Amino acid sequence: MTAPIEIEPAAGPAAGPEDGRGARRGALGYALAKLGGALLSIGMVVVATFFLFRLIPGDPAIAYTRDVPLTPDQLTLLRRQMGLDRPLPEQFLDFVARALQGDLGTSYEYRRPVAELIGERLGPTLLLVGTGLVIAVTLGLWQGTRAAWNHGGRLDRFSTGISLTLWSVPTFWLGLLLLMVFAAGVGPIPGIFPTRGMEDVDAPDGPMYLLHVAHHLVLPCITLVAVVYAQYLVVMRSSLLDEIGQDYVTTARAKGLRDAQVRRRHAVPNALLPTVTLVFLHIGLVVQGAVTTETVYSWPGLGLLFYEAIKGPDFAVMQGTFMVLCVAVIIMNTLADVLYHVLDPRVRSA
Amino acid sequence: MTRLGGRLAALGLALSLAAFPATAAQAGQARAQAVQEPAEGKRIVRLGAIQAIDSMNPFLAVRVISTSVHRWMYAYLTTPDSKTLQPSPDLAESWQTSDDKLTWTFKIRDTKWSDGTPVTAQDAAWTLNKIMTDDGAKTANGPAVENFESVTASDDRTLVIKTKQPQASMLELPIPIVPKHVWEKVPDVGTYEAEQYPAVGDGPYIAVEHKKNAYVKLKANPAYWRGAPKIDELHVIFYENPEAANVGLKKGDIDWIGRLAGPQFQALAGDPNIVQWNTQGRRASYLQLNPGAATADGEAIGDGHPALKDVKVRQAIHHAIDKKALVDQVQNGLAVPADGSIVPPMYKDFFWQAEGDTRVSFDPARANKILDDAGYKKGADGIRTMPDGDRKLEMRFSIHTEDPIEDKLAQFLTGWLKDIGIQLTTRKLDSNKFTEETGSTALYDIAISGWSVNPDPEEVFATHLCSRRPTAAGEGGGTESFYCNEEYEKLYRQQLAELDRPKRIALMKQMQEKLYTDAPIIAVYYPNNLEGYRKDRITSITPIPEDKGILYGGSGYWPVYSLQAPAGPAPSDDGGAGPFTTAVVATAAGVVVVFGLGLVLMARLRRKGDDDRE
Repeated sequence: MTAPIEIEPAAGPAAGPEDGRGARRGALGYALAKLGGALLSIGMVVVATFFLFRLIPGDPAIAYTRDVPLTPDQLTLLRRQMGLDRPLPEQFLDFVARALQGDLGTSYEYRRPVAELIGERLGPTLLLVGTGLVIAVTLGLWQGTRAAWNHGGRLDRFSTGISLTLWSVPTFWLGLLLLMVFAAGVGPIPGIFPTRGMEDVDAPDGPMYLLHVAHHLVLPCITLVAVVYAQYLVVMRSSLLDEIGQDYVTTARAKGLRDAQVRRRHAVPNALLPTVTLVFLHIGLVVQGAVTTETVYSWPGLGLLFYEAIKGPDFAVMQGTFMVLCVAVIIMNTLADVLYHVLDPRVRSA
Repeated sequence: MTRLGGRLAALGLALSLAAFPATAAQAGQARAQAVQEPAEGKRIVRLGAIQAIDSMNPFLAVRVISTSVHRWMYAYLTTPDSKTLQPSPDLAESWQTSDDKLTWTFKIRDTKWSDGTPVTAQDAAWTLNKIMTDDGAKTANGPAVENFESVTASDDRTLVIKTKQPQASMLELPIPIVPKHVWEKVPDVGTYEAEQYPAVGDGPYIAVEHKKNAYVKLKANPAYWRGAPKIDELHVIFYENPEAANVGLKKGDIDWIGRLAGPQFQALAGDPNIVQWNTQGRRASYLQLNPGAATADGEAIGDGHPALKDVKVRQAIHHAIDKKALVDQVQNGLAVPADGSIVPPMYKDFFWQAEGDTRVSFDPARANKILDDAGYKKGADGIRTMPDGDRKLEMRFSIHTEDPIEDKLAQFLTGWLKDIGIQLTTRKLDSNKFTEETGSTALYDIAISGWSVNPDPEEVFATHLCSRRPTAAGEGGGTESFYCNEEYEKLYRQQLAELDRPKRIALMKQMQEKLYTDAPIIAVYYPNNLEGYRKDRITSITPIPEDKGILYGGSGYWPVYSLQAPAGPAPSDDGGAGPFTTAVVATAAGVVVVFGLGLVLMARLRRKGDDDRE
């Protein structure tokens, strides 16, 4: 329990003295309650997913075999193979029972287990979203801090303006623009980045392979970062602005601390608290950005899988991907709750 | 950065770093299984595809890209002739039919699979029997064997197929024949991925590597019975985004893309290295006019406008459409106005074109006269009403959402129909809803549709049969028009049994004329086949048919078999220039990033200095 203690002086006013055992029991109860809530949410996601995707109009059997004429007998056979001939409640119970065992069904289009397809795509998405998120959060928080500390100044207006402009740009458009400029090359700018995917035919082996993938990662990652980092910047900026006027900041200054020390040791830690929650909450939005980014750059991740499934429509894959993404967001939110509890003594005592 | 911030960043970094080697390892494993040789010094052609492989198992694959790749990997019994598109020998050297037209005997070519095993009639018999007897193997080509009674190999060179009814389209079986000795070991074909490389095949190319959602690498088959292709490797590279593929072609990441949309094709103009390939296409675009939809049992279904049941109204609408204007304005001239029906003009033998009195010309005055004579009176607002009531001729035009071409077409059509007293409102539907409303529930008046036709057009004719209408339970059977006409059905049955090609063609032309004059569908234009390839990378390619035909997505393997390309740079000692350059660039990029971070850090330190001074 060292982390909170460092923050405590800054958060001082609201932090009450606590007996260790009580706090631990409280923390455990809190974590369990949050976990229960998360499990409930996941359960609701499972139910919602099933019925939501049944509401989408269109016959998957027909859509799947578009441009392939089938006799009614063959269609019936296809529906039986897809499990579409059974009554909805039965399909639902089957779906839940299987989902509990980690079986997300079989893709109509790929004829393979959805869980396997998702497993294949998870790595590339984690790589893209993970790298993008780290860069976006770092960049956003850093620029947000700078902007708030010099609020109203040229730096503030410049960095906030740029980030908000990028934020309002459609991901798809930005992605294509970067692709045309930096992958194809325009005028004096050489096209040094690949136009698609995570790797090429005859990619090198060993450590060179990592470089090869990193080379492919640059443009998708920049696209993703450019579009999402503004949200971290803006949140950090506004929560730091809230702190700047606080008495404890004045006190810190009065103690004779240097400006940078006031900022780093006192204001920023407090401003980070609401930001942490938002960082986790916004992971959902990053995933959304990943769908478009992956589509533009043919990045073989979950987003692309989801996009293709919608085009299908491949119900099983849509359901599975949607569920995995939802569960990821729920887990992240729960993690944010717990983390917030650990970080902020005020939440703990409340 | 604060400790907290630093910790969060570290956590994130750790997570993404953890993911990175995992992915890399996965990919590394996949590649380790494949044949690894440097790409340099070889003649390679890279085809861009706007579609990923759905399955490498030919019993399951339905996407065009996959069936194309399988067509290059496995021989079929027959293949369309490169000039005439008529069935010509492939794996079957010759064939004959019995007098009752029910027994087909094929003489199988004496050749070898890529693993050296001889190809026999047993392979063909096993493949076809598998599809007939195993429901899991029916996915891709179930319909093609529906009419088969039995398939046997009477000896290694003789394949005998007995059918239930005569089947004139027998010589266009879309089925890749797979090696029995490899596939009979597969426990469940319906779930088998077929990701064993190098694959065993007998076509011009052999798949040696497939990286899912990324590429397929094929090598020339030296044992191919026609002789090995003139290039060493064919790479099929997947792009999800057509614009990105265009960029890839211009840059030279790929050498060839087929099936381009109009705007994408036009964007290639002016590039000195790119050949814009613009020829007649294999697709017909048509309007569906709800002719009074019913289920296969004859039960009325849907809510089509009653006026459209009247053939005169449908014909009047036909007269109101200026197809030439649609081609010029909607398709930017990249199509042919349709004076025929569902078979596009590229299939010279089967194509039927209306002439003389039959031809429906763009003539709004005539359309108005037809409607006036039939008793559809114009009201004060210029909209006509039904002769026997007061329902106005207000109709819906169903199109797909987010399709600018259909949007534009809708604007033209709305204007033209207004001139003849029919009010049209556009209804945009997402593609699944669209398929449902125009194919099974019949909740449409007029809709846009189209069909890509094979060298044997039998299947497109079948989409207008009575039996293709939905079942009583409302399940779609694949109708493209809800058409049901006794005469058309009779012609269809006759052509099925007509093994004499000219006679069969004559029957099919009659069917097209029937569709043209009855107008349950109105063909508006035949979109061109648009492709692009780099002439510095592809020095020669022969289309199918040879006279101004299709390169990618046609039938058979002629274009890819005919490919010629210059050799790449010779291999160098360090394993080749390509990966090396890549690495240098990637490293350079990394250095730039590190350098940037350094600058940032220095700026921070400088600021800290400023702070100290305060």
